[in-house]
Amino acid sequence: MKKNLLPGTVLLVLLFCAFGRQEHFSRFELSGYAQGTTYSIVYYAPDSLVSQQQTDSLLQRFDRSVSLYQPNSLICRFNRSAKGIRVDEPIRVLIARVLQISHSTGGLVDPTVKPLVDAWGFGVVKPRHDPGKDEIKELLRNVGVDKIGLKGDFLYKTKPGVQLDLNGIAQGYSVDLLASLLERHHIYNYLVELGGELRVKGHKPGNEPFKVGIEGISGDDLNPAPMRKVIEPGDGAITTSGNYRKHHEAGGKQISHLMNPLTGYPLQNEMISVTVYARDAITADGYDNGFMAMGLQRTLAFLSNRKTMGAYIVYRKPNGVISDTVTAFFKGYQ
Amino acid sequence: MERRTFLKNTGLLTGGLLLNHNLSAMQPAGNPVKIAVIGCGDRGTGIMNILNGMPEQFRITAVCDVLDFRLAAAQKLSKTGPLKAYTDYRKLLDDQTVEAIIVAVPLYLHYPVAADVIRSGKHLYLEKTMTYTIEQALELVSLMKGRGSQVLQVGHQYRYSPLYYRVKEMINKGYLGKVTQVDCRWDRNGNWRRPVPDPALERAINWRMYKEYSGGLAAELLSHQIDFINWAFDTHPQEFFATGGIDVFKDGRETYDNVQLMLRYPDLGLIGNFGAMCGNAHDGYLFKIKGTLGTVSLLTDQGMFYPEKKLLGEKGTVDGVTGATRIVWNKEGGTPILPEATKDGTWYAFNDFYQKIQRNELPDSNVFTGARTAISVHLANQALYGKKICNWDSGYQIDKG
Repeated sequence: MKKNLLPGTVLLVLLFCAFGRQEHFSRFELSGYAQGTTYSIVYYAPDSLVSQQQTDSLLQRFDRSVSLYQPNSLICRFNRSAKGIRVDEPIRVLIARVLQISHSTGGLVDPTVKPLVDAWGFGVVKPRHDPGKDEIKELLRNVGVDKIGLKGDFLYKTKPGVQLDLNGIAQGYSVDLLASLLERHHIYNYLVELGGELRVKGHKPGNEPFKVGIEGISGDDLNPAPMRKVIEPGDGAITTSGNYRKHHEAGGKQISHLMNPLTGYPLQNEMISVTVYARDAITADGYDNGFMAMGLQRTLAFLSNRKTMGAYIVYRKPNGVISDTVTAFFKGYQ
Repeated sequence: MERRTFLKNTGLLTGGLLLNHNLSAMQPAGNPVKIAVIGCGDRGTGIMNILNGMPEQFRITAVCDVLDFRLAAAQKLSKTGPLKAYTDYRKLLDDQTVEAIIVAVPLYLHYPVAADVIRSGKHLYLEKTMTYTIEQALELVSLMKGRGSQVLQVGHQYRYSPLYYRVKEMINKGYLGKVTQVDCRWDRNGNWRRPVPDPALERAINWRMYKEYSGGLAAELLSHQIDFINWAFDTHPQEFFATGGIDVFKDGRETYDNVQLMLRYPDLGLIGNFGAMCGNAHDGYLFKIKGTLGTVSLLTDQGMFYPEKKLLGEKGTVDGVTGATRIVWNKEGGTPILPEATKDGTWYAFNDFYQKIQRNELPDSNVFTGARTAISVHLANQALYGKKICNWDSGYQIDKG
């Protein structure tokens, strides 16, 4: 017992030091470009403990694993392979987590959805036409989490045509990686944001909580709508999935970039956006697309007994009116 | 603005912006319009190349030019067998099978040829600038009176692209705030001459160098941007200041190779800076519209919007924002106006020309807006070559536009 007391004591001392020096903390900001979007970090610390060079290089390394825009990334090599390849730790973590989430969402989250994303025109290479029924049926033969798996550090596939798209969860995980980097450098008051996915810890000077805005849903980047809500989530992660920005026209109507991996067709339901709170961003980001696919009622039921996760949902009522709702464990919502 | 930045960004933004020009609504309704080209220089043959890709809308049936080698080159572009060839455009106008005419002749000939086309009853696509003088512009306006079923479209093609429609919409909806300056350039590092196979043809081929035939850089290049501002803001300049000279190529040319225009739009509190030169190509085509809320920066086929930095900061009553796959700001804080580069403006312009012929409607670049721009260009040139401040005369009768 005695042995175990020491680390706890050290931690307490460190915590006292941290709070004792709180007033001398300065604000540091880092921002840059990664994964085809922007990131920004705000932290409060006695000194600039983490530099942009460190965050950039972490994100560049991550991109070399999971970016579909880099032909030599691990994920692209996996997609081209016949049977699979050896993968690095980030991909192993992502695969393990996404498989778990896939099972708990009844297959509505699926990392093998890439052939469908491509066919509907949301991939790196744009197709010349919208897919027909038969084509989708054919594509679905390569979709499904039962067609991939991890054996040690070997990620295998059961059919050569199986391809991964981890974009639905990778951004969240990279936010977690940035948060870990900060914490390794003893930074405990921060907000990390990448492409609209966030991790928050601690608070600003004077015990002021970090405030997070939930973007308006006009989808007009040139004239953004005001924030729908401003929340104070406290420690944890906030991510959003929505179909109000990334969509295009097919067959005379607007289609979402989010696919239903079970049917092979883009999502078409009442959901406009889901903002998820969870302890870490890999979880929040991993589930948010799944909630979009589940629809309002199933999502509310799913979250009703989960105390570590919550959601703020914007949806369209049958009469066309846009409405919103929030679940019990969505934090920091007034 | 760097083209590379555009390409990088546009590939990633798949785009919630809907284009004004819904291409699926542009399916041809009838037979292709039989069309003929008068003036087969660079522009005339350039248009022919575009029309070759639009066989359901247009069929080129005849070509006309005073230079034989140009006629021969134009013939070679035909995709549908030999074209009827004319050296006298009046004979072409007698051809009853031709329904529409493209006029792409040197500027000083725009008016006489266009007037004859109008009188022939055929539809007319008239290259910019609409006319060489103010009187000719007003004359075309009155000639078109009562000819509601005849389409006259002026070749300010850039503003036909969905990008320029979107920018007009952004201006009109106030996204830019109060716009008080526009900066436009159209620069090159070169003499702006075409090769002349026979010295006797110098003036015929390099007509842009001579005041007798051309309005120089202002008419041939800057007119596009002047026209866009007129159209987007539904206005025209009131005061015209200009300076320039033959500063780079003292090769016998008469039109200036270094030009700067300052135009004043007092109703809007707007200053327009329009410059063109032959001695530096760094900026190339530059088109910036600057308002209190942001800047639009345009190439011919791509554009960026830069909100004012001050406002980006004011947004920050929050520490972070969550949202669906967020906008990709480039390093200068800009976002692409459309997710992908547009096609050549000429393609959109001719698509619309076809539609307007089918529906007997007034084109967006019509005789009224064409006259407003031609008068603007001419007054700018009067200020430039006359070394004086010129003013719009409220007596100019342009009824509509």
